[in-house]
Amino acid sequence: MNAPLPPDRVLFELDLTAPAFRCGEIEGRWRHLSTTWPHAVFSLAAPPRPGAPEQFEFLFNCSGYRATPTSAQPWDHAANRPLPGARWPTGPKIVSSVFRPEWKNGQCLYLPCDRMSIEGHPNWCNEHPSRLWQPERGIICYLEQLHGLFFDSDYSGVRGA
Amino acid sequence: MTQNIIFIQVHERPGVIEAQVIEAATLGDVRKAIEAVGVVLEAEMQIFLDEAEEPLHGDHGHVVHGLRHGSRVHVTRCKRIKTTVHYLERTAEHEFAPGARVRAVKAWAAHTFKVSPKDAAEHVLQICKSTERPAADTPLHELVHGHPCALCFDFVPEKRVEG
Repeated sequence: MNAPLPPDRVLFELDLTAPAFRCGEIEGRWRHLSTTWPHAVFSLAAPPRPGAPEQFEFLFNCSGYRATPTSAQPWDHAANRPLPGARWPTGPKIVSSVFRPEWKNGQCLYLPCDRMSIEGHPNWCNEHPSRLWQPERGIICYLEQLHGLFFDSDYSGVRGA
Repeated sequence: MTQNIIFIQVHERPGVIEAQVIEAATLGDVRKAIEAVGVVLEAEMQIFLDEAEEPLHGDHGHVVHGLRHGSRVHVTRCKRIKTTVHYLERTAEHEFAPGARVRAVKAWAAHTFKVSPKDAAEHVLQICKSTERPAADTPLHELVHGHPCALCFDFVPEKRVEG
């Protein structure tokens, strides 16, 4: 007999079938690639830039979902390992402030919605309220921010290009 | 018969509803799909497809052109959304279709206020008197609350995440 799924995974799986998530998948904004609980890999579309891929992959730690924020790490899904810093996205001002390979050994993104990064940054609640984790929206709020950084911010390609 | 998934967004109803219609759906098929998910199509409601400027109209037997897998169908009381944007000491207004995305407003604002692409990339639209910065893919009518078909944004610099 199969053991029942833990509540955090049940919620996560539910969100993968939600119209808001599927809408983003069909529009080509993001894609769920795999889950090895509590980790899940997603790919995010990126606009064309010289020497940069058309998508970036991220390994999310989803334990405690949705009450606890997730944490995302740039990932090489084919090689099943962290994405080398030289292949991380960058940009002149905003994107480079989020994708910082030196921050916590590249295990997370420098975003207020990230579980690892929000720790020790209570000031972000006032300074970046629109970038905080929203438990009622779950993974969508993180994916939307990443998509916005690629398509509506100053994304210019990869660091090593 | 091949089915297309559509995503229905209804005036003043949060969230998106997923539904299916046949590949060459008629206006009647679309209306049936909307009603099948519990939405009452009141007389003053309009149906817009994706970012179209005009609502769907005509005979119920006519095929809806432009409907594709993943189309967004907007059920709204607004035929246009009067959008005001403040930038520094300037203000500009424009009327957008209900399905227009926030990204289109940003592009219009950058053009209107003569903000360079580089500077525009470092600015975002924030709903007036709030801290809400809707994602660029958000259709405008999703942000309209109450009957006035109007929205107000401040075009503000995006702050680096620091500290």
